[in-house]
Amino acid sequence: MDEKTRDDLLQLFRSKFNRAMRFYLESCTRCGTCTDACHVYASTGQTKYIAAYRHELIRRLYKRYFKARGHLWPSLGEARELTDATIEELYEAAYSCTGCRRCMVYCPFGIDTQMLMSIAKLLLIGKGAEPEILTLLADTSIEKGKSMELFKEGFLTGIKRLEAEVVKQWQTEAGEAAIPVDVEGADLLYVALAGAHSIIPAAAVFNAAGEKWTLSFFEAVNFGAFVGDPSKTKLILDRIVNEAKRLKVKEVCVCECGTAYRVMKYLSGSQPFKVTSITEAHARYLKEGRIRLDKTKFPGPITYHDPCQIARNAGVIDEARYIIGHLTDDFREMTTDARYNWCCGGGGGLVALGDETLDFRMKSSRVKVDQVKATGATILSTACENCHTQLSNLNDHYKMEVDVQFLSSMVARALVPA
Amino acid sequence: MQTVYYIILVPMVYLAFGVFIVGIIARIAKIWREPPNPTPLLIHPVKKPGWLWTLTDTFLFPTVRRHKPVLWVFLMAFHICLLLLLIGHLELLADFALFQVIPHEIFLGNGFVGLILAICLLYFLFRRFVSPVKDLSVPEDYYLLILLFLVVIFGSEMDWARSWYEYGEMTVEDYRSYLLSLLVFKPELPYSTTFSGHSFMLILHVFFANLFLMFFPFSQLMHAILSLPMNKLRRG
Repeated sequence: MDEKTRDDLLQLFRSKFNRAMRFYLESCTRCGTCTDACHVYASTGQTKYIAAYRHELIRRLYKRYFKARGHLWPSLGEARELTDATIEELYEAAYSCTGCRRCMVYCPFGIDTQMLMSIAKLLLIGKGAEPEILTLLADTSIEKGKSMELFKEGFLTGIKRLEAEVVKQWQTEAGEAAIPVDVEGADLLYVALAGAHSIIPAAAVFNAAGEKWTLSFFEAVNFGAFVGDPSKTKLILDRIVNEAKRLKVKEVCVCECGTAYRVMKYLSGSQPFKVTSITEAHARYLKEGRIRLDKTKFPGPITYHDPCQIARNAGVIDEARYIIGHLTDDFREMTTDARYNWCCGGGGGLVALGDETLDFRMKSSRVKVDQVKATGATILSTACENCHTQLSNLNDHYKMEVDVQFLSSMVARALVPA
Repeated sequence: MQTVYYIILVPMVYLAFGVFIVGIIARIAKIWREPPNPTPLLIHPVKKPGWLWTLTDTFLFPTVRRHKPVLWVFLMAFHICLLLLLIGHLELLADFALFQVIPHEIFLGNGFVGLILAICLLYFLFRRFVSPVKDLSVPEDYYLLILLFLVVIFGSEMDWARSWYEYGEMTVEDYRSYLLSLLVFKPELPYSTTFSGHSFMLILHVFFANLFLMFFPFSQLMHAILSLPMNKLRRG
């Protein structure tokens, strides 16, 4: 690695500094309490997957380049030079971490490994060593935001096809658009994912609840956040924020996508609208009596996988239980304490990388499989696209013989017609 | 030799405290000048009141108790004894009515505070020779534990000699006049501190303690100060 590249990378490193990051870089005592926290370590037993080991890689660079000790006595803290070999190690650490923050629950100081891994991800981008596909997907999202007019026509045609589907299954009242788009003055802007499964059931529930809603032109997923590029994350987010402001909505409701929800909730800043997840919206409709569900629709015990970015990292926990309480009398918890739920093993962009990471995802998530099996449930529900894909892959690979379902789809299917 | 003793017991102590205090202030100032994190870093569900849970996490290490109970016992014993040790050293400066709520002789603990500390430090050190903690450790983790062990062992030896073997050549009054003279910047070394049979213990104790203080602001020992704000971020 030449001098110029290294300087540029260190500049990127420095750009990640803030008060919390400095805390985390200064104070790990390597006590080893976090050993059992990571699902990858728990499933594989390899030391390099222990949270403290992962972030010590970052800390060694920090000690070398940002502390006087790195010049005076580098071996003291095993300070490391930034080389091509280091970059490879960073890749291994960052793209085997799903950013679930379970280790943060274990750490006596509460060190945030996901945040420290964001330094690794940014250095990888700087070196051009990040997974290209994620950058490509992020760029596509940004491009779509810039030239919306080009995509509009095709989008609307697609929506018309889905509307027919909604009408067929749920018989929306005549004269109303089953999937309203671009409605100024609507109460709620729903941000979905590309794919009928994220739009059709949601539409059915919004319509049944009599919500004044409108569908966003953009898909919720934020590939900028997966690849760890702060400026792209912001650009992708801003498309939706601007749309919400233009349509003057009171609420932006994010579909079942953990990353999208957390980014939207915490990075959109102070806005005239509130941010909710679709799980929160559904729980609210049930509470207000705006929708009713048929408990006989799903026989057999149901368990629920808390998506890390929605539950542990954004606080939507009780709402899901409330909904499931209307779907079954036989709900099985995976853990007594939501903070300790195992990650599905698909977050942090791993599922988005597809088959490339499949083998690793299966090996690293054995503990999740054990946790699901222990519940004895036949239906495994969740509220996140990534989790759903990963859990379905696990279901096939480990022959768990459960039915993996989106919670929102279950709500739609159990709707009692008014 | 007396010159070396003098350097360790007087100028080096001033230097060590100077580096310790200025170092900590400089490091904290540097960290606090950084902008806050743009997003909350909470772990949910958030329990109320947040400040109380922050204090619990900071001072009682509940997560360690849950996941590494043996380590927790040693950690609690160690940190409680550190606190007692701090009080013990303050009492070498002057009498504090507050600390005498439970009447005790100076130095408090009758030698057992140092003994417990030494045992805890050996435990911390030895567990770092075993995987997986071995694989996480870096040299400074060992150096710091060894350094602290040396500080504790020489300090305790003086205490043990007086408490358990009625050694009377170096008394609490001697320590007090030495420490007070340092405090008022008129350093004086009582004859017994440099010429008695246990002088070497005092000198080594002070020497290693000086090194420890000087290293403090630049090492993971800053967790002593940063643990509270970090736990605040997690608990809200």
